[in-house]
Amino acid sequence: RGLRCRKQRMDRVRVGVIGAGIVGLSTALCVAESLPGCSVTVIAEKFSPHTTSDVAAGILSPHLITVTPVESLRRWFAETFAHVYSIARSTEAPDAGVQILSGWEIFKEPPEERIPFWSDIVLAFRVMSDSELTRFPETTFGWMYTTLLCECLLYLPWLEKRLKQAGVQLEAGKVTDLWDLEGKYDVVVNCAGLGAGPLTGDPLLHPVRGQVLKVRAPWLKHFIRCGDGTTYIYPGVTGVTLGGTRQAGDRRLGPDAADERSILARCLVYEPSLAGCRGLGEAGVGLRPTRRALRLGGERLERGGRSMWVVHNYGHGGAGVSLHWGMAREAARLVKETLAQIRPQPTHNKSKL
Amino acid sequence: MEAWLHLNAQTEELVGQHCRTEMRVAVIGAGVIGLSSAQCIINRFQPTVKPLTVIVYADTFTPDTTSDGAAGFWQPYVLDEGKPEEVKWNKETFDYLLSYMSSSDANEMGLFLQSGYNIFKEPVPDPSWKDAVLGFRHLTTKELKLFPGFSYGWFNTTLMLEGKSYLPWMMAKLKECGVKFVEKKISSFQELGPDFDVIVNCTGIRAQELQPDPELKPARGQIVKVYAPWMKHFIVSHDLKAGIYSMPYILPGSKLVTMGGIFQLGNWSEENNPKDHNKVWEGGCKLVPSLKNAKIVEDWTGLRPVRNRIRLERQTFESRPQTFEVIHNYGHGGYGLTIHWGCAMEVSNILDKIVQERKPSWKIPSRL
Repeated sequence: RGLRCRKQRMDRVRVGVIGAGIVGLSTALCVAESLPGCSVTVIAEKFSPHTTSDVAAGILSPHLITVTPVESLRRWFAETFAHVYSIARSTEAPDAGVQILSGWEIFKEPPEERIPFWSDIVLAFRVMSDSELTRFPETTFGWMYTTLLCECLLYLPWLEKRLKQAGVQLEAGKVTDLWDLEGKYDVVVNCAGLGAGPLTGDPLLHPVRGQVLKVRAPWLKHFIRCGDGTTYIYPGVTGVTLGGTRQAGDRRLGPDAADERSILARCLVYEPSLAGCRGLGEAGVGLRPTRRALRLGGERLERGGRSMWVVHNYGHGGAGVSLHWGMAREAARLVKETLAQIRPQPTHNKSKL
Repeated sequence: MEAWLHLNAQTEELVGQHCRTEMRVAVIGAGVIGLSSAQCIINRFQPTVKPLTVIVYADTFTPDTTSDGAAGFWQPYVLDEGKPEEVKWNKETFDYLLSYMSSSDANEMGLFLQSGYNIFKEPVPDPSWKDAVLGFRHLTTKELKLFPGFSYGWFNTTLMLEGKSYLPWMMAKLKECGVKFVEKKISSFQELGPDFDVIVNCTGIRAQELQPDPELKPARGQIVKVYAPWMKHFIVSHDLKAGIYSMPYILPGSKLVTMGGIFQLGNWSEENNPKDHNKVWEGGCKLVPSLKNAKIVEDWTGLRPVRNRIRLERQTFESRPQTFEVIHNYGHGGYGLTIHWGCAMEVSNILDKIVQERKPSWKIPSRL
């Protein structure tokens, strides 16, 4: 019996997840839950509240320009929405930073796609009537919908708690070369966001800088988003996130005073009551890890006779929160498939007597 | 010759008295009804009636009035008996408040938009106010899954008007216009009669202390205020058999969330009671499980001044030394904030009739 225990320990699968943003943590959790008995470690340079995810308002509405097929986007969004919805309906909602939120998305000119691909996935969706549009300056078209908001400042620590309960290790440390992890883990899952660039040499990954201003305005109960995505107001649990900017290729992590003035001015146009905010807001900057096609797939790396298995899950741009759970589940499936290939009897040790 | 001149002078003085357009108005009550009545009167008559004296008498001021405790949710009863004047006053109030939404006053007024759900256990006809609110529609099957046990409902966007902000805002504006406030309990109309031409009676549930009214009854409500900043929609559940506001409702405010569901007709107690607290708390948590984590801040009890219809009418008191008019404006039940401005405008309409009646009649009094 002792021999079998030792064999179990030797056989224990080790998975290393790089990145502790919403993608890394949710992927680690999905792996831990779908592969019980597996040892999962999250290695990251930054943990909440210092990740890119922490800056995001956290609204579940996947606006992205991508070549990723819409069927995949729908599948990932639907799975994420269902998962976050179940949290919203539970007693965990406040701890997880999850809330149900309605609001208006408004356009100066009607968009090419009058009805977005996710309209039937959110809780409710309709096109605004002409009389409704008159409340918003320069607006000729709009949607009113009810969706979810996942405030990462709360959601990530909540995920970390669940990870610890599932026996997942969290390790602070910067991974500068994937090969540093070879031999330590059977499979490495790359959820490094923008950090995946230096790790993989991926030329398609680039930052799109977003600056936000978080203010206290607890009387605001709706979101307002301008169709071009640069101006938005998202009332969350701990504050209202005002945004924003979309600066491709810009890597500056410090807040820019001119951007802040511009954000406030643009938001005031749609929500004049913001003039009544008490105190200074808190500025934040996140670099959206943008890629024309989201990268979710397995890869066998080879170098000088050595090989290692990596599952990539990065390049979500501004849709990380919207797609996180669906993609984490798929990443976990890819990890399981990979393990089945490299370790034919990976996880259970049935009695062979 | 001298006698004739003397008579002319007398006549001129008498005619002059009739020509003066002064008006002295007393408002009794400083809740939303009293203050808005005063405001409407000032807005309408201050330009033309000179001098116009308006004094508000009350023994209770903000933040201790019934209007202060209410959540401030704009919504008439869902099954109103379609009293056309009340339907009109409700809409007038909504439109009036909506016009302030994009102004810099909105914050100070405690005014903001909120969307949410009215849910039922059976189909119901659309309410009279469906076109007053914004974006009224029926709930989809998907949305109804949020509320197990309920099979029908509405979604719309409405206004919240918090008394604790709105009343001070109105008082400040009234003071700027020269309206005086006197902290005094008025024991009878006759007490004020000699000094005022018109008394506007906005005494809410205690109107009976000034004049018996068997139609006026208290409908006690107890609410639990909690801190739950993740709540961004109102939810009002209904059971047509149980009656209005007897089922759980959740009304997020600017800082706290109001949980309620108590409507006890005939109960005069203003004390919070633990049984009602538990009913409200359990009812709300059943509707929205996440509220179990809300931090309870305080309970509050108020008496809705319920009446079969709002008493908004004029009553003439032929008393010595002079006749005075009372304009009654009370009995707004649980929809005072919802209907206040339409009623205030009607008060000013009635006052206008009174002003017109007082214009000079050119009759030479028979003193010859």
